[in-house]
Amino acid sequence: MRVIILSWEYPPRIVGQLANHVKKLASQLVKNSVEVYVVTYHEFSTGGHDDSDGVKTIRVTNPVHTHIGVLTWVLTLNQEVERAAADIYYNVDGHVDLIDIHDWHFIPAAVTLKKAMDIPFIYSVDSLEEHRSRGANYPFNMAIKSIEWLGTYEAKGLIVKSEWMRNEVARLYGVPAEKIKIISPDSGKWIEDILATYMDTAEGESPGWTKI
Amino acid sequence: MDQDLSVMILTWEFPPRIIGGISAHVYNLSRSLAAHGVRVYVVTCDFPGAASHETLDGVEVFRVDSYKNPSPDFATWVYLMNVNMQKEAAALVRSLDGKIDIIHAHDWLVATAAIGLKHVFRRPLFATIHSTETGRRNGIHLDYERMIQETEAWLTYEAWKVICCSGYMISHVQWAFGLPPDKLVMVPNGVDHETYSKYEKENLSQFRSRFALPEEKIVLFVGRLVYEKGVHVLVNAAPKVLDRVNAKFIIVGNGYMKDQLSGLVKGMGLTNKVIFTGFVDDDTLRRLQICANVSVVPSLFEPFGIVALEAMAARSPVVVSDIGGLSEIVEHDVSGVKVYASNPDSLAWGIIKVLTDDGYANWIRTNAYKKIQEKYDWNRIAQQTKTIYRNVLNDYSKSFWAHRMS
Repeated sequence: MRVIILSWEYPPRIVGQLANHVKKLASQLVKNSVEVYVVTYHEFSTGGHDDSDGVKTIRVTNPVHTHIGVLTWVLTLNQEVERAAADIYYNVDGHVDLIDIHDWHFIPAAVTLKKAMDIPFIYSVDSLEEHRSRGANYPFNMAIKSIEWLGTYEAKGLIVKSEWMRNEVARLYGVPAEKIKIISPDSGKWIEDILATYMDTAEGESPGWTKI
Repeated sequence: MDQDLSVMILTWEFPPRIIGGISAHVYNLSRSLAAHGVRVYVVTCDFPGAASHETLDGVEVFRVDSYKNPSPDFATWVYLMNVNMQKEAAALVRSLDGKIDIIHAHDWLVATAAIGLKHVFRRPLFATIHSTETGRRNGIHLDYERMIQETEAWLTYEAWKVICCSGYMISHVQWAFGLPPDKLVMVPNGVDHETYSKYEKENLSQFRSRFALPEEKIVLFVGRLVYEKGVHVLVNAAPKVLDRVNAKFIIVGNGYMKDQLSGLVKGMGLTNKVIFTGFVDDDTLRRLQICANVSVVPSLFEPFGIVALEAMAARSPVVVSDIGGLSEIVEHDVSGVKVYASNPDSLAWGIIKVLTDDGYANWIRTNAYKKIQEKYDWNRIAQQTKTIYRNVLNDYSKSFWAHRMS
């Protein structure tokens, strides 16, 4: 199985707790015979690297340096993420089974890649704008929420870490509960559950799917 | 072989959505290309009452949801709209089994959608740069403007060829983004002179009387009421003209300077001589252009100046600023009058010259009409554009992207 993970933070660039979570996920997947590519952002270091844990990382930078906020920054970074993901796709003759995106930043890229190449994607929700902004609903927040909604709508499935978050996703974006899988990173069979969800999602969707 | 050429054109405006000059440009370019056997798919923003998909003069037009929540600012709206545009365009290309040879973007307003599509489908990208942020703002002063300029630079970087509509714009774009000269190609803008011929047999005197008294000459301005269009220069020239000629100044268009300009007119006590019509429909606009005794284009910055071509096609004499694309369109004393930009005295001189000498006015408008039939004909322009597409596809066929695809 071949998976592309899109995350706006990944070690050594650590912004919050998402970076280490994604790192742990990627290296565990490799141990379970999944071929994992992580496409992420770095301000200076760019290009591809085969990490010692077997994860293939590709770091892109933003072609537009000057920005007026995180929203415009994200929206001009997505095209570089698409470029990196497309390069992987063409290098492996289109055999990409799944894309897993962590939080909202690269939802536009995942949606375009799905429409263009028929690669299904999972939206892994770490946090939501509703809670980050503490209910603020300025046009800025609304825009991020509309992107989060797009992610929930276009994703084949969602992975959340708690029942509370599943209820919040369902409440805020009207996502049917059966589309959302709760997988706690603290549970003993965390990676088994992730793998099972990946396989369910990829099944029948991609000609390149192979059983592990 | 022409049937095998298909292009996807991205534009933020397409009729009936008309904001600036890109709408008419893309409309005429796409239907002329279609008439030359090119399959054309236009992806553009939605508009109230316009179909989400229609075939118009042989062109497949797709209108996508253009993000209707309130936006923090215009640029952020542009990027958000591009998310939808890219999503829908990607689905369209896939539904066509990838049978799109070229992606053609018009201005930074569709940059992010176009760049993403280029890489996802590995197709050559064309960018027509109609105007630049540094030109519109007369320099880059704020982060907001710099962000737009860097987006424009990125689009020209990603493009295989950058098309500009005038020699002036070629050198401006080359300077603004540091592009290699062989990346730039000049294709003039065109004008459809036949749209004006259907009004020729009409008696327009009653129409004219809605705007001016029979003894008043009509001085016409058409354009957005924004700083770079120089409407304030025309308003300041009005009293100087009125000292010599009985005239009516008709200002067509909307923009952020409208209140400021009508305040200026009120202060001059000229509300009976300078009228603001706002946005008018095509029929009214074309009749006005035919009725105009002089059409004025007093721009401070003008990449091309299609409104001057339209006036020439309507056989109205033109007075233009000697800047940008206008300098190339008009030959002084032959096909129009050129005046100093941002100079009300010079502008008034040009207007008076045309309005007080009928023989001269006839001479320049006859020459101008001949010129637009020769150089600014859309058939010619479509042919030229097709040749550029073909040449690039030939180069592309030798690249590793093309080999991967087959």
